[in-house]
This record gives sequence, C-alpha cells and structure tokens, in this order.
Amino acid sequence: MRKFYLIGFLFLLSFDTLAQISFKMTAEAAAPPALDSAWFLRIAAQPWVYLAISGYIGAFFTWISLLRRAPVGPAFAAAHLEVVTVMFASFWIFGEQPDLPRLAGAGLIIAGIIVLAFSEKQQEAEAEHSRG
Amino acid sequence: MSNLVFWLWFGNVFFDTIGQLAFKAAAIAPENKLAAEGGGGLVAYWCGLVRRPALWLGIFSYVAEFLLWLAFLTLVPLSEGVLLGSVNIIVIMILGRLFFHESLTPLRLIGIGLVALGVAVVGAF
Repeated sequence: MRKFYLIGFLFLLSFDTLAQISFKMTAEAAAPPALDSAWFLRIAAQPWVYLAISGYIGAFFTWISLLRRAPVGPAFAAAHLEVVTVMFASFWIFGEQPDLPRLAGAGLIIAGIIVLAFSEKQQEAEAEHSRG
Repeated sequence: MSNLVFWLWFGNVFFDTIGQLAFKAAAIAPENKLAAEGGGGLVAYWCGLVRRPALWLGIFSYVAEFLLWLAFLTLVPLSEGVLLGSVNIIVIMILGRLFFHESLTPLRLIGIGLVALGVAVVGAF
C-alpha cells in the first residue's frame, strides 16, 4: 500500500510539474501574448504545448488511479507538493530565485506531507491490528 | 473584495470541490470494481469509468473552475489568488469526511493543516 502511494504520487508530481514547465516554455516561445489567431498559431506550432497537454492527461489518469484507494481529503492536500516541485524546477530551468517566504511555505508543505505519510503508516498498523 | 470577485472566488472553490468529490465517487463506483474483478481488469475498470456520470461531472467542473480562475486572475493579482488553494484543501477535507466517511485522525489534521498553511504562505507574500 505504501509502495502504491509512493509510486502514484511520484507519477502525479512528475506529470504535473512537466505540464507546468511546458506551459511556461510554450508561453515564452509564443510571446508576445495576444488574443488573436497569430498567437494561437504560434502556440499550436510549439512542441511544448503538446507536452503540456500530455502531462495533464497523464496526471488525470494517475489521480483517478490514486483515488481508487486513497482518501480524497489527505490525497488532495498531499498533491500540493506540486507547488514545491514546480518552485524548484523553475529555479533550476528558468533561474527563478524563490524568496524566503516561498521557501518557508515550501518547508511547511513538505512537513505536512511527512506528517501525512506517518498518519498512513499509523492507519495501516491499526488496520493490521484490528484484523488480529 | 468586490461582489464580483467574491462570487468568482466562491465559484472556483465550489467547482474545485465538486470536481474532486465527483472524481472520488467515480473512482470507487462499485460498478467499476465489479467489472474489474469480473476478469476484465484495468481495461474493464476504465471502460466502466467513462460511463459514470460522476466522471463527466468532474471534468465539467474542472473546465468551469479553469474559466472562473482565468476571470478571477484578471481582477485579482496572482499572489492573492493562490490563497484559494488553502481554502480548497480544508473544504475538500471536511466534505471527504462527510461524503466518504474518511477518518480524520489528529495526524491527518496536522498534516493537512501544515500543507494548507504552506500553500497560503507561498501565495501570500
């Protein structure tokens, strides 16, 4: 079960981060933004936009698979680790320096997910116990 | 916050919540499970899933949420907009408990609370 969550969230985060980075790449390559057909054509000519859409589709299938077993409340919260992975990917790829509050927020999110991982361990142990 | 901004904000939280609950309901629908266990496996599960109205309600909610989000961001700076995410986390936690009887142990409450706080801090500054 723990392996299922680990692999599931790893896939979800990879797809989500891939989609966000690809959207940013698309937007930069198709600049300047304008609500006209030329802008849409510039977007459609970008390979990045198709990678972004693929990322979204992959994330959708992964999320539904996770929800087959995971409770939606904690899982939805845990999926917000995406905020942290996108922050670091943006730093690495685009050189966007995260400021101190952003790093503090990222720390809180990571701490929350560690607590959620422990809570799953506890739930599993209790389920094991009640089964005798 | 002007009236319009409030309703765009409310609509965004509303559709995000409906979307997540609908996806959860579709994912655990007993019909899909029966199909998957009936020998069809994963293919039967996904074929059953596309016939669930809840799945399409979820997809519709996502599209509605996306459009409301765009409208919201034209009126409010992104940094204030991100606070929305924290509210969604808490609302979905409460409704997961109400609709799917998900247990809220102290550890889960602390973990979800920390994530919601972290998302708010990232967005607020």
